[in-house]
Amino acid sequence: MRKKLQGLVGGTAFAVVGALGLNAANAEALVAGVEASFPPWAYVEDGEYKGIAIDAMRAIAEDQDMEVEFKDLPWPSLIPALAKGRIDLLVTGLNITEERNEVLDFSIPWWENDDEVLVAEDSDLNVVTALCCGATVGAQGGATQYQWLEDNLEANEDVDVTLRSYEDYVTAIEDMGTGRLDAVVTSTDTAEDFIAKDRPVKIVGTIQQNQPQALAVQKGDPNEILGKLNAGIMNIYESGQWTEIVKEYSPQSTIRSIPTTMPDYVDAYEEPIPGYSD
Amino acid sequence: MIVEIIISQMPYLLHGLWVALQLLACLLALGLVLGLSLALLEVYGHWTLRWLGILFERIFRGIPAIVLLLLFYYGVTDFVEIGSFMAAVLALGLRSAAYQSQIFRGCILSVPPGQMQAARAMGMSKMKAVRDIVLPQALRLSIGPWTNEFSSEMKATSLAYVIGVVELTRQAKYIISSTQGNILIVFAVVAALYFIFNRLGNWGLYKLEKKLAVPGFEQRGDA
Repeated sequence: MRKKLQGLVGGTAFAVVGALGLNAANAEALVAGVEASFPPWAYVEDGEYKGIAIDAMRAIAEDQDMEVEFKDLPWPSLIPALAKGRIDLLVTGLNITEERNEVLDFSIPWWENDDEVLVAEDSDLNVVTALCCGATVGAQGGATQYQWLEDNLEANEDVDVTLRSYEDYVTAIEDMGTGRLDAVVTSTDTAEDFIAKDRPVKIVGTIQQNQPQALAVQKGDPNEILGKLNAGIMNIYESGQWTEIVKEYSPQSTIRSIPTTMPDYVDAYEEPIPGYSD
Repeated sequence: MIVEIIISQMPYLLHGLWVALQLLACLLALGLVLGLSLALLEVYGHWTLRWLGILFERIFRGIPAIVLLLLFYYGVTDFVEIGSFMAAVLALGLRSAAYQSQIFRGCILSVPPGQMQAARAMGMSKMKAVRDIVLPQALRLSIGPWTNEFSSEMKATSLAYVIGVVELTRQAKYIISSTQGNILIVFAVVAALYFIFNRLGNWGLYKLEKKLAVPGFEQRGDA
């Protein structure tokens, strides 16, 4: 019995050591946090990270001679993980907002988005009825769309909507398919991706937000990567690589000139902007 | 079409399962060593040690696994540099230690006190009596309840994705999001994988219990 138990304990100890060895990460490389369930920006297909943000980050890293490895975390964990320094930068379709500006520093914005109102393909709802009069509307918790719905519709007593928050948009769309939601509000590229992949949804209206998106680093940029990111973004934009990457994942998108709208509340946009205007 | 997706994605699901099984092995090993030590402390230790053991066990049994994971990933990592996987091993392993300590404590206490008295009367030291008389009986008894702990920890590994461990559940989410749908079928496959490995583990543990059973020595009825 004792021998057998010893064998058992020894075997598990071996497994522990083996597993620890597997997890030894490259200490030199910067860790880029992504939410790999957010196509077309970042997702995993056949075991590989893919998406606009992923490929663009790889191109920037090559251009600026940086070493970057990706780390996948669920969306609600990403910003806290960056604020805590568990990751060094955030690479996804990240909207610039005032609240986020308080806890992180943005690169120059490389994208601009509007929000789309999605309903089921066979639904009779229109852009007005989908967002009022007892409708139940879903969005990703912690996302700018959710915030907008909360501030502009739910807080308004004259508009009768119920909000539901989801960990990701796939579940929200699935819930709309089962009839638990009347509408889902998501960004333009996510909405177009759903339609391109033949999900039974349609766009009934657009909420124009001109919402800029950017990469982000820890507040105060302790690792001094913001300058490299900004310079890298401009280089891949000017070389045409950016257009190629965007067109590969999202052929229907219009490329906007970089930098897009730069809100004046963002600390990192005070002159001189490292890597861009210095 | 969906069958093709499942077949082509199977290697990634199996890789996720492999990560889950590694996490399971590590956390159960940590829980076993610590849980058994705690149980011995709680039964035989000085009252201060016993009290500390009980405090540890109450704390870790009283906090949801997902909260422990977040606490370890965001809290403990302020002081010590550890990755997602290690944080998950610690959070779930310490919690498992608390549960396992109760399994072992119960089994040690269910060995009739006469066994200990007889061993001592024969001149064995307390340490030797625990090691050679009480534990061999108690550990055999504990295999049954331990299979339950095995199953529940196997299922708990599916929570580790919240701190960035890419295990089976997260791999499933990758497939769902890269195809923007197919939630039901993908999770049905994942459920089957968890179920199969749970049954396999339990089957192995029951085999072990049978194999280690001492013929003619049964506790039933006379305890």
